[in-house]
Amino acid sequence: MTELAQPAGRFREIARLKLTDAHTQGALDSSTARLYGNRTAAWQALPEVQELRQRAHDARMRVIDDLDTHIRRFTEALEARGGHVHFARTAEDAAAYVTEVSVRAGAKLAAKSKSMLSEEIRLNDSLEAAGIRPVETDLGEYIIQLAGEHPAHILAPAVEFTAEDVSELLSAVDGEPVPADLDALAQAARRQLRQVFLDADVGITGANFGVSETGSICLVTNEGNGRLVTSLPRVHVALMGMERLVADLSDLSVLLRLLARSGTGQRLSVYTTLITGPRRAGEEDGPEEMHVVIVDNGRSNLLGTHYREMLACIRCGACLNVCPVYRKTGGAAYGPVYSGPMGAVLLPLLVGLDSAPSLPHASSLCGACSDACPVKIPLHELLLELRKDLVERRVAPLWERLAFTLWSLAWSSPLGYRLSTGLGRATQGLAGLAGPGRAWGRGRALPKLGRRYRDGR
Amino acid sequence: MPTVQLFATCLGDLVFPDAVRDAESLLVGAGFDVEFPPEQVCCGQPAFNSGHRGAARRVAWTFLRSFSRSAPIVTPSGSCATMAAHFLPGLVDCEPFDVWELSAFLDAQGVEPPRTNEGRRVAYHDSCHMLRELRIADAPRRLLERSGAEVVDLPRPDLCCGFGGTFSVRQPEVSVAMADDKLGGAVGVAAEALVTADPGCLMHLRGRASQLGETLPVVHLATALAMGIGGS
Repeated sequence: MTELAQPAGRFREIARLKLTDAHTQGALDSSTARLYGNRTAAWQALPEVQELRQRAHDARMRVIDDLDTHIRRFTEALEARGGHVHFARTAEDAAAYVTEVSVRAGAKLAAKSKSMLSEEIRLNDSLEAAGIRPVETDLGEYIIQLAGEHPAHILAPAVEFTAEDVSELLSAVDGEPVPADLDALAQAARRQLRQVFLDADVGITGANFGVSETGSICLVTNEGNGRLVTSLPRVHVALMGMERLVADLSDLSVLLRLLARSGTGQRLSVYTTLITGPRRAGEEDGPEEMHVVIVDNGRSNLLGTHYREMLACIRCGACLNVCPVYRKTGGAAYGPVYSGPMGAVLLPLLVGLDSAPSLPHASSLCGACSDACPVKIPLHELLLELRKDLVERRVAPLWERLAFTLWSLAWSSPLGYRLSTGLGRATQGLAGLAGPGRAWGRGRALPKLGRRYRDGR
Repeated sequence: MPTVQLFATCLGDLVFPDAVRDAESLLVGAGFDVEFPPEQVCCGQPAFNSGHRGAARRVAWTFLRSFSRSAPIVTPSGSCATMAAHFLPGLVDCEPFDVWELSAFLDAQGVEPPRTNEGRRVAYHDSCHMLRELRIADAPRRLLERSGAEVVDLPRPDLCCGFGGTFSVRQPEVSVAMADDKLGGAVGVAAEALVTADPGCLMHLRGRASQLGETLPVVHLATALAMGIGGS
């Protein structure tokens, strides 16, 4: 859990670094603009999009408000089809279970398909400690694994890398230069990963959705690596957040119509895979063992509170792409896993406000995220609620609480207002020396206070 | 004559008294009797958006005490109109007020602004509160067009300018970078002025333009309509 913590000031520190890096700024600008444009075009081409968003929201909330039932149903259905289900209360529990299953399978190599939850529970560290080599097979994840970095975007982890960066990383693996050309890069990665698929003893994936009616998991991918990871190795382990269930296939279809459109602008992703248990008698391929690890890791804190709406998130990335703050800071400022508006809301709820006090303020509250969310999570309103909690739980610094209290006492009467603003006008030469005035003065002229409008009436 | 109550807002009163006077003159010119309730202070938004509900409530009560429900309240600030109309009633547990952002009010009343911007090319910046809370995007543009201006689209008009209340001082570097994109966009479309209906955006964008030595005027909508973009 502590790995996800974001001490006060960290956001600003990383954001400042990213802002001065022209390379990252260019990459962020073009990729978020492209994804934003794709999403808006895809939504415009779908006349019933607003109605669908409401249906998607309702479908998600029905499950979240009765989550125990759905987890039980999912578990029973999958176990009836020969799958194993493990409920992990914490990140450590989840990582330990997956590692145990892999060790029991005698694994040396684990092929992974993209899973943000595996980043959240730091699965790779746990596997490596047990002598198992995890290899990311999603191209973006593969790139950041080679670079030793964290995903900068929940959908496009290597969003801040250019073709030249990728060429350098893949060339180092090959021991000879790979041209910085998209086709050549894809070919090189494909070649490098092919043997991993063939040799891996365990395949590890996330799960975009679990269907409680059928006990299926649904994987939504574009590269085909997900299918190789779930069919070639002897054992398949899927990680799923406890909130990612949908009631039935009909609700799933509503969400699938929105997920790819909102993420990349595709009508559907290239591969949509439903997996219900391991290989059965008479089948020629598929894993011999299949495990689904349902992970809580702080999610149940949200149940029964007004923050439970955040559990409706389907990780499409639309809020990141539309966010004017994310497109300047990139993902790292928010922490190693989740970023943008969804990360700014989710992380403080998972790890506690004390451990992520800057994130509720890492937003101008412009509301673009809420408008872009396919499942209608009121993201900016939740950020505002989190700010209220910061104050009420006294996580906000004492000086800030004192300043607002003094200000409100002064401005609680017209006389206090006149006196305090008169004083402010008389001392405005000092405003830039400290506090908010000094921060304002970093790049902006301070406004000049003259005669008030009311004085002229 | 129909009466309106003018809500100057704290930023209007303290930093942009000219814009409030221009708003007043537009309303008077349109035939309204403009009252200025003298006890008014602020809607409490700075504290509300920072999570300080107690402090926000204390200040919001001044709004309750100074405005009546007998006439519409008009304010030259999309952001304060949002606070007063949407959030304040829940905050202090009162009946809603009839609050209007200036351009929405003038447009709804069918007011014909003076032809102050004949042949001028202006860009209009949507403030986030106006665009996404009040859903007002057309009224200010229509009024500018009726004043004779050609209104050109900014690239990515949906993007926030980076003010965001205390965000501007909590994350000053990101905030300023966002302003640079907005100002650069206006220069890029060869606008003669960047017009906005929100004093917060105005203070932020003008402060940045001034620091950069940028000659592009950043003008409040009320001033642009009453005096023309060159008249600020």
